[in-house]
Amino acid sequence: MIMDQIALIRRELWEHRSIYLTPAIIALLMSLGTVTGQATFSAFDQAVDLAILGGSNLGENERAAAISAVMSGVSVFFVIGMWFLTIFYTLDALYAERKDRSILFWRSIPCTDFETVLSKLLTATFVIPLVTFAFVIATHIAVLAISSVWIGIQGANASHMIWSAAPLMDNWAATLVFLLAVPLWSSPFIGWFLFVSAFTKRSPLMMAVLPLLILPMLEKILLGTSAVAEAFYVRAWKMPLFQGVDPTDFFDERNNTVPEAISLFDVMDLGGFLTSGGLWIGIVVCGLFTTAAIYVRRYRDDS
Amino acid sequence: MTSIVSARNVSKRYGSTLAVDDVSFDIEKGRIMGLIGPNGAGKTTLLKAVLGLTDCQGTLSVLGLDPFRQRKELMQNICFIADVAVLPRWIKVAQLLDFLESIHPRFSRKRAEELLSKTKIQSSSKVRELSKGMVTQLHLSIITAIDARLLVLDEPTIGLDIIFRKEFYGNLLNDYFDEERTIIITTHQVEEIENLLTDVMFINDGRVVLDTPMEEVSGQYVELMATAENAAKARHLNPIYEKDVFGKTVMTFEDVERSQLQGLGDLRTPDVADLFVAKVKGATP
Repeated sequence: MIMDQIALIRRELWEHRSIYLTPAIIALLMSLGTVTGQATFSAFDQAVDLAILGGSNLGENERAAAISAVMSGVSVFFVIGMWFLTIFYTLDALYAERKDRSILFWRSIPCTDFETVLSKLLTATFVIPLVTFAFVIATHIAVLAISSVWIGIQGANASHMIWSAAPLMDNWAATLVFLLAVPLWSSPFIGWFLFVSAFTKRSPLMMAVLPLLILPMLEKILLGTSAVAEAFYVRAWKMPLFQGVDPTDFFDERNNTVPEAISLFDVMDLGGFLTSGGLWIGIVVCGLFTTAAIYVRRYRDDS
Repeated sequence: MTSIVSARNVSKRYGSTLAVDDVSFDIEKGRIMGLIGPNGAGKTTLLKAVLGLTDCQGTLSVLGLDPFRQRKELMQNICFIADVAVLPRWIKVAQLLDFLESIHPRFSRKRAEELLSKTKIQSSSKVRELSKGMVTQLHLSIITAIDARLLVLDEPTIGLDIIFRKEFYGNLLNDYFDEERTIIITTHQVEEIENLLTDVMFINDGRVVLDTPMEEVSGQYVELMATAENAAKARHLNPIYEKDVFGKTVMTFEDVERSQLQGLGDLRTPDVADLFVAKVKGATP
């Protein structure tokens, strides 16, 4: 079972090269952006001197916080990329094989429909985040290394300014948790997309998105309520991993002191996330849609 | 004899259409069964039921398994080529071999590589870069490298030129078939596989109209080519089908002794294509 899953997931990586090409392109753009950004910035001598001086004079904890913020800023682009990637991957996962009729070949190998669909669900929820994570780490190292060279060229001590303070392990551990939490929290959509991918005869993107737009409108018109829209809003913006954390606090000057070493885990409520009803309801909904996708793949007979 | 496939009162309905209508048959080990029928006769539906791709009514047992409910176990011992175009176009030949090696307990990579080395197919090629004939060669090489007991071929050579078709069937006999293995094959090019078959089954409107070993065809069926005068005499023996060819009447008889037709014209055993027309058209009022 496990070896079969590994083989099936490897096949997903062969077919959907975008799983690693998307983060690879983001990584390349971020690294190139850092080089060109710093090269451009170099032209402003005075500003450079002030920045170097300011950076050198920061306390270690403040420097760690600043570097962690830069690293998290880099990670945000990968999270956005991962979102799009997951949407397009799940919509294609059970549709492409029917479109090119290769489903007849895949069904001729000794694998159940459950195993096949499971491999696609695992790819969306674990493999894509893990591949993305690997590129995040590589990009962090590249961006910090490029910055070190730049700082060195400016005559400052990069080892002191960056490497002695960079909270690499803390940032990476928190990023990994976040990258794995995002698909879990979004799992009802992942399940829905897989289901649409299994049943639709054409335009999976439209077939998946239209009901998500029409349903809240219908509810508003017919019932005058907006429970569906609120549920979508919560799913999109109110991830309980950050429960109790108000993002506006970061912009409040009174909190801008960084008195002691902070960990990114301080702003995460992992326990609250894992015990939130919303997470588990979402996983159950994902399970129902995935079961429906397995059922459709097994019973549909239009080959 | 061991039944590889055993069907009892198997039916399959799509909406109001009865695609397979109360069909019963057995296919024994070491046979090559030709499943012949016009378009829409129910051949593909029947094969899908055998392969566990669709559920059906009645009792169907393939290698002692319920094909729809025990499909995974079944697929370890069955191979099928449903169409030449079904290999995923994005996959590389080497990836295909890697994948099958890791997932199919009966796949021999060494054997597949041996077979592929006799072709022009490169392991670095993607399926989309291969010609239709090469894709079929690739598919057959893979199938042959799987130690399966039953091979199901549904129009395996459709769209291929005559050279590839001949080569396909030649390789099938030389590299795959032995007395431990069984093949079910459907094709419209009946004359090309006639010499391969050990058994033939005709299906029309979802029903089996003939199911017989090839060696019994000559004892059971005879074709008479007669003048109009003799044809009138022969007609008393109830031919199942007759047609006019070059001013003569050609009649097909079932279970009529050849001695009874002796002297009425030229006698011969009908080939599968003629027999098919006789059975299918003859049955149509």
